[in-house]
Amino acid sequence: MIPELGNFALYIAFALSILLSIFPAIGVRQNNARLMAMAPNLSIGLFVFTLFSFSCLVYAFLTDDFTVVNVAQNSNSALPNQYKFAASFGSHEGSFLLWLLMQSGWLFAVAIMSKGLPVDMRTRILTVLGWVCVGFYAYIIISSNPFERTLPYFPVDGRDLNPLLQDIGMIIHPPLLYMGYVGLSVSFAFAIAALLSGNLDSTWAKWSRPWTAAAWAFLTLGITVGSWWAYSELGWGGWWFWDPVENASFMPWLVATALLHSLAVSEKRNAFKSWTVFLAIAAFSLSLLGTFLVRSGVIVSVHAFASDPERGIFILILLALVIGGSLLLYSLRAGNIKSFGKFSIFSRESMLWGNNVLLIAATMVVLMGTLLPLVHKEIGLGTISIGEPFFNQMFTYLIVPFALLLGIAPLVRWKQDKLNNFVTKPVVVIISSVVLTLLWLKVEFNDINLLAALGTCLAVWVVLFTLLELKQTSKKVSLFKLPLSHYSMSLGHIGLAFVIAGVALTSQYSVERDVKMNTGDSAELRGYQFTFDKIKNIEGPNYDGWAAVISVTKQDKPVATMLAEKRFYPVQRNTMTEAAIDDGFFRDIYISLGERLPDGAWALRLYVKPYVRWIWLGGIIVAFAGGLTLFDRRYRNKNVAKVTAQ
Amino acid sequence: MTKKINFRFLPLVVFVLLLGFLLKGLFSDPSERDSALIGKSFPQFELPDLNSNNKMHTPETLLTEPVLVNVWGTWCTTCKYELPFLTKLANEYDVKIVGLYYDQNHAPEFGEYADIPTIRVEVKEMLARLGNPYQYNILDLDRSLSLDLGVTGAPESFLIDANGIVRMHHMGDVNERIWREKLAPVWNEISQ
Repeated sequence: MIPELGNFALYIAFALSILLSIFPAIGVRQNNARLMAMAPNLSIGLFVFTLFSFSCLVYAFLTDDFTVVNVAQNSNSALPNQYKFAASFGSHEGSFLLWLLMQSGWLFAVAIMSKGLPVDMRTRILTVLGWVCVGFYAYIIISSNPFERTLPYFPVDGRDLNPLLQDIGMIIHPPLLYMGYVGLSVSFAFAIAALLSGNLDSTWAKWSRPWTAAAWAFLTLGITVGSWWAYSELGWGGWWFWDPVENASFMPWLVATALLHSLAVSEKRNAFKSWTVFLAIAAFSLSLLGTFLVRSGVIVSVHAFASDPERGIFILILLALVIGGSLLLYSLRAGNIKSFGKFSIFSRESMLWGNNVLLIAATMVVLMGTLLPLVHKEIGLGTISIGEPFFNQMFTYLIVPFALLLGIAPLVRWKQDKLNNFVTKPVVVIISSVVLTLLWLKVEFNDINLLAALGTCLAVWVVLFTLLELKQTSKKVSLFKLPLSHYSMSLGHIGLAFVIAGVALTSQYSVERDVKMNTGDSAELRGYQFTFDKIKNIEGPNYDGWAAVISVTKQDKPVATMLAEKRFYPVQRNTMTEAAIDDGFFRDIYISLGERLPDGAWALRLYVKPYVRWIWLGGIIVAFAGGLTLFDRRYRNKNVAKVTAQ
Repeated sequence: MTKKINFRFLPLVVFVLLLGFLLKGLFSDPSERDSALIGKSFPQFELPDLNSNNKMHTPETLLTEPVLVNVWGTWCTTCKYELPFLTKLANEYDVKIVGLYYDQNHAPEFGEYADIPTIRVEVKEMLARLGNPYQYNILDLDRSLSLDLGVTGAPESFLIDANGIVRMHHMGDVNERIWREKLAPVWNEISQ
C-alpha cells in the first residue's frame, strides 16, 4: 500500500511540474498576476509530494518490503538500518528519486527565498526549473520507476546492498553530490530567465551568486567525501582515479568554479556578462552530461554492466532539449548582451579572465579524456584507453599558471593596475616560498623530490599571498568590518593550497610494501614498525571474516593498534577488504589485509601516506568558504529585496 | 558582426556533434559487440607464451580442438575465485583451458612497462596455490587480442569450437552455476 502511495505522489508531482511549466509562463506573457502567483505554490507542492514519495521508498526499505523490485535487489533483512536507508538511493531508480527530491528541494528554496525578486523574473526562474522538472519526472515515471512491484512472486529475502556501498561515506556522499548537481540548475534557471527577459544587468549576477555558491559548496563537499570514501573503502589507498564517474562530477565543478569567479566580474564590473551566462548554461549541461554518461552505460561500459539503451535514449533526448535548447537560445540572444566595464591588460578582470581560461582548459582536458575513447571508437579508429598518466600530466601543467595567478590576483586592482607595483612582492614571495618549501621537505623527508617541491612551493605561494593581501586590506578596512565574501575568497584559496600541497606530497612521498606475515612477525616501513599480533574471526550483521590485529610502533613508542579486515558477504558472494587506517594530520598509516597463503601466513600491504588528509581538509575548507558567502550581508534576503525596491 | 554571431553558435554546433556520437555510442556497447563476435572466427594473432619469449602461439596452434579461453591476471581478484573451479573443470570434465594473460599496469606510451619475470613468479605462485587449469598461457602484453575479442575486464571466458568459431562469451567469474546454466550446454555440444 505504502509503495503505491509513493508512486501516486510521484505522479502528482509530475502533474504539478507540467502545470508549473505552462501556466506561470502564460502569466508572464499576459502580465497576469494571478497566473504568475501560481508558480511558488506549485513549486512548494512539487517539493511536498516528492518528499512524501521519497519517504515511502525509505519506508519500504526500512520495513524490508521485498515485494518492491528495487528493495529486493538492493537490500536484505540482515542489513543494518542506516544502510537500509542508504540502499534506498543505492540503485539507479532510488538515486534518481533522491535526485528529484533535491531538485524539488532547490525549487522550494528558490520559491520561498526569492520574494525580493521582481515578480516576472521570479516566475520565469521557477518556470525554467519547472521545464527541467518535467523532463526528470517523466524519465523516472516512464523508465526508472522505483516502486515497481515483484508481485505475485516475491522473494523471501533481498539480494543485499553492494558491500562497497555499505559505508558511512555512501550515506552522505550521493546526497551532497546531487545537491551540487541539481543546485547548478538554479544558476542555469537564472541565466535562462535573464536571457528570456533580455534583462541582463549586474543585479542578475548579484541574485545568482549566492545560489551558485551554495550549489558549488555542496558539489565541493560531495567530491571531497567521494574521494575520502574511495580511499577508505576501496582498499588500495588511492584517493582519485580519473574514473568516468569521478570525471562526471569534476567537470561541473570546474565550470562552476569558473562561473563563481566570472559572476564576481559581472556583478562588480558589469563585464564578462555573455560569458557568464554561457558558463551558467555549461555548468548545468555538464551535470546532465555526467548523468547521461554514468547512467546510460555509454562510457561506464568499461565496467561491463548491462546497460539499458531505452534509458540512455531518454536521457539523450532530455540532454538534446535542455542543453540544445538553451545553447540555441544563447546563440540567438547573447548578441544583445552588452558589457560595459572596460579594463586594461593588467587588472583584476584580466586575472580572472586567466582563471576562467585555465579552468575551461582543465574542463576540456577532462571532457576529452572521458569522451575521446568513445569518439575514437565511433569513427572507427579502434579502442583506446586514456588513463591516469594523461590526466596527471595535464593537470600538473595547468596547476602551475593557475596557482601563480591565483596568488597575485586578489592584490591586483579592478579595471587597471600598475605592473610596476608587482615586481618586488612576487620576487620576495617566490623566494620565501622556495626557501620554506625546501626547508619543509628537508626536515620532513630528508629528500627533495622535484614535483613535490613544485606543488608545495605553489601552495606556500598561494598562502603567503593570501595573508599578504589580508594584511594590505587591513590597512584600509578593519578586518572585523571586511565583508564575509572577502574572507570566503581568502579561505577558499587557502583551502586550495592545502589540496595542492596534499596532492603533491602524498603522491610523491607515499611508500608501500607488500609483506607476508605470520603471527609475531614484524616489518618496517619509513621508521614505523608493524607487528602482526594475531588474527581473529569477526562476525558482522550481514558478513563474517577475518581481522588482523597489527600494532604499530615508532622508535619503540606505540603509535596505534590497527584492525585490518577481510569480510565475506554471503548474500552477494562478495569479498571486501576493509583497510585499517590510522589517520593523522601529517600522515596516514594504511594497512590492507590480502590473502591467506597456504602455509597459514597472510599477505598484507602496508602504506605510509604523508599529508593525504590535507586533500580532504582542503576540500572541506573550500566548501566551507563557499558556504560562508551565503551569510554575506549583501546577499541576505532583506537586502536583495532592498536592491530591487530601489 | 557576422563573425561574432558565428562564434556564438559554436557551442551549439559542438554539442550537436557530441550528441551524434553519444547516440551512436549508445547502440554500440560491448554487450552488442559481444554478440557480434559470436558465430565469427576467432581473431588472428601471434603472441608469445607467458613463460617463454621464443615460443609463439597462433590460431593454428590454439584452435585444434574445442577450447575455453580464459582472460585473467594475478591482479584480478575475481580471477582468484574462479581458479579452483576452472581447475576442477580441467581435471574432471576434461575441458581444454588456455589462459590469455594481460597485465594491467603495462602502458609503454607513458613509460610504464610490465615486469615480466615478476609476473612469471607471481603466476607460478598463484597457480600453485589455487590450482592450475591452464594448458598454457598466452601473454597479451599490448592487449591487442583482448581488444579484438572485445574484452572489457577480467575475468572473461570464451568457448571456441573445433572450427575456430567463437560460440559463447561470458563476462565475470565462471562458477558452478554459470557453468551448469550457461556454458555447459554449449560445451557439451561443441565437444561431441
